[in-house]
Amino acid sequence: MRTRRPVDATRELTNAAMTTTAETIHPPGTPSGRTAADAFARAARLEALLGDPYDPANPHGLRALFAADARRVPPAETESLLAGTGLGAEFVPAVHGGRLTRADLLVRALRPVFRRDVALGFGYGITSLFAAGAVWAAGDARQRQDVADLLLRGGRATILHHELAHANAILRHEFSARATARGYRLDGRKDVIINAARADLQVVYARTGTARGPRSHSVFLLDPRCAPPGSVRHLPRVELPGMRGALFSGLEFTGAPVPAGALVGGTGDGVGLALRVFQVNRSVICGLVTAAAGTVLDAAVRSAAGGRGATVTGRRRAPLAGVFADLLAADAMSMVVLRALSLLPDRAHLFAAAVKYVVPDLLREGLQELATVLGARGFDHAGPEHGALDKLVRDLPVAGLGHAGSASCQAVLVPQLRGLAERSWFAEDEPPSGLFRADGELPDLDYRLLGIAGGGDFMAASLVGSAARLAGARGAPGARGALAGLAEAFVTELRALREQCRRLPASGTALAGPAALVLADRYTGVVAAAAVLGVWESQDGTDPFLAGPAWAVLALSRLAGRIGVPVPTLPAGVQEEVLGELLRRQRAGLGYDLDAVAHTP
Amino acid sequence: MTTPVPTGAGRIGAPFHVSGPDAPWHRVRAAMDRHGTAVVHTTWGEWLAAVVAEPALRPLLGRDWQRYRRTADPTVRYRFVASRLVTKYTAAAALHTEPVELDLAYRTGGRPYLRGLDQIDVSLTHTDDLIAVGISRVGRIGVDAEPAGRRMSYELLGRTVLTPAERAALEPLADAERAAAMLRLWTLKEAYTKALGQGLRLGFDEFGFDADGSGLAAPDGRPVRRDAWTFATYRVLGRYVLSVARHDAGLDSSPDTAAHTMLDEGFMDAVGELLP
Repeated sequence: MRTRRPVDATRELTNAAMTTTAETIHPPGTPSGRTAADAFARAARLEALLGDPYDPANPHGLRALFAADARRVPPAETESLLAGTGLGAEFVPAVHGGRLTRADLLVRALRPVFRRDVALGFGYGITSLFAAGAVWAAGDARQRQDVADLLLRGGRATILHHELAHANAILRHEFSARATARGYRLDGRKDVIINAARADLQVVYARTGTARGPRSHSVFLLDPRCAPPGSVRHLPRVELPGMRGALFSGLEFTGAPVPAGALVGGTGDGVGLALRVFQVNRSVICGLVTAAAGTVLDAAVRSAAGGRGATVTGRRRAPLAGVFADLLAADAMSMVVLRALSLLPDRAHLFAAAVKYVVPDLLREGLQELATVLGARGFDHAGPEHGALDKLVRDLPVAGLGHAGSASCQAVLVPQLRGLAERSWFAEDEPPSGLFRADGELPDLDYRLLGIAGGGDFMAASLVGSAARLAGARGAPGARGALAGLAEAFVTELRALREQCRRLPASGTALAGPAALVLADRYTGVVAAAAVLGVWESQDGTDPFLAGPAWAVLALSRLAGRIGVPVPTLPAGVQEEVLGELLRRQRAGLGYDLDAVAHTP
Repeated sequence: MTTPVPTGAGRIGAPFHVSGPDAPWHRVRAAMDRHGTAVVHTTWGEWLAAVVAEPALRPLLGRDWQRYRRTADPTVRYRFVASRLVTKYTAAAALHTEPVELDLAYRTGGRPYLRGLDQIDVSLTHTDDLIAVGISRVGRIGVDAEPAGRRMSYELLGRTVLTPAERAALEPLADAERAAAMLRLWTLKEAYTKALGQGLRLGFDEFGFDADGSGLAAPDGRPVRRDAWTFATYRVLGRYVLSVARHDAGLDSSPDTAAHTMLDEGFMDAVGELLP
């Protein structure tokens, strides 16, 4: 049972933090609490430090951040503010002196940064975690401590990806490492690496085998200061249309010697490590970009309702209510998968791929709907409120990696579909209910426990369970009856998928055709619905809006529409109730996710 | 047959005619290689034989089959099915697959997309007997066509369709010139909002174009820097105005858009290896 609303706790802490300075908040190495309340407290302190995003005089406000973006430079003042808070400790497991305990808490703690500026979030910080993940998953004791020490000192790590299928600029090209008498020799060039010029540590996924297949790559941990002169060339900065302030540039290695001790894990572990680490990165990205979309929704509500106005009329009602429901659904998916990384680490990979496939697309579509609400104001670049839309439209494809990003998720989903249809769907037990309860305790995230295939499908089982519990309400009038009907419709879709996925080829190139990709797409919509239902069922009534069926009905209707499941007309009052909550939150300065924390002090 | 009107044309590539299911579809792949975009046009009559004779029409139409069956008016019905076939054949050419393999689905705002295959974006328009389809691998695309002879009433529609700056620019023009300019702006705005996915839900008086129709402008005429967008208007078949809006998401997406190469082999194998 939740004893007090996070909203109240957050407000209190926000006020407390107002009188605190950055330097005194998080001395590196301070042991941290492990609870959601502690993460909310850290977020509240960050909120207070970053200040009112809409205050034009605030050096960390949206106006200043968007101006830096327009100048294509990182916001220096805000970066140094974040450095002062010891933000790097968020990326270091608590056992190594950092504050990283659980992925869901990490996301909560970092949302204040991302809701202001996705590029700042990536450029300042989260990239370090994405890079360090391989070390948390497979590094030896010395590597783990070295990376921990560096990040706790405020150092930065970057990731040098290997090339994936249908690679875009960020994923294109890769490095090769050949064994020598004393270690390895690194060669190759990659043009678009975030923070390549300023990272203190490079995590390289390099090709070590000539044969194709799952053992082709290995991971190396490099200290750029150790590279002999002439072996590394820094290539010019590359300006991407999105994340304009982030510093992307290239690196070229020519016979760079790499000591044997730089290898992370075993030779040939690279692809497996990428799969293990990517599931955390994917889940974290989804939780964070959802917060950024909340800022655009806020701008749209302010525009439609006229500041602290009371109502929205006409054609703006449906997109505002719909996108709010989408954000709640995206947060439900994100929070469930982030919690699964702790609770069901051997099985979270499947849902992580599904969530990362759905969420960026859902948000992208939502941004387009919000553009219709903002109308001409969306062109008002000078105003911070309306620049948020433009900026996120630009930044989101870079954060989500576009087609190559979704294809890499499909590569995880597609090979598993047939086995799931044959053995898992309609056969497995439901996951523990603690998966869905935002305030439930969880074990710490341990990268070493993460699986990369197999383990069944706890979300499909959860959907079937939710629908069965709602079955009594089927056919009843009103939102609850509609919710029961929608839950059943998704179960029907899962049944149809079972029949079709059973007919897929077991493996091989035949799997890589459009038919399997279409099935994978529909599948992700089904498990997205499962997350919404699971989160709705887990409400204890503390928040009457989330405990009510309206938001879930609207979110599921929209998810159903996405995958072509027939959608009945919305019951009367559903849109009104969701819109009413949206306006209430806007007036009260609360966030547009499941936590509804108070934003501005 | 195809006359490019103004700027943007070089970057998008001229629309070309496809004469039915047996059209030389390699031209789609060539245009995609060169521009990242392909725009084709045809008339529905050219597809009539295929529609009537196609034994696999039901699987080919997929979820659109019901709508096809429900449509009573034969002209509407055949035009509908022809437009879906053109879309699928065009997309299939770029994806190196068969049209019947594709699931043409629709977003909330009605914009079509290819389920599971986000390497290309598609847009579809039809007017009278013309059907045009645009596909792009660099970002969103929108196409819109109108008969060149359509007279839009400046007096009746000017205030809802044009921004103050556009009205000021069109005001001094002679009737015929003004009608042509208005039609071009209309198709550009349609194409842009279709690329955004919202059709007519974006107010047309809330955004505008500069004088030559190559860039976006605010309602007061100030140019809006949107380097990522390219616009072009063409006259096709001598009697239609066809506008294209294309967004470049800037990720320098892979020139390979084939469906069967998009799943990373390393990932597939690593996952497959661990499965029972």
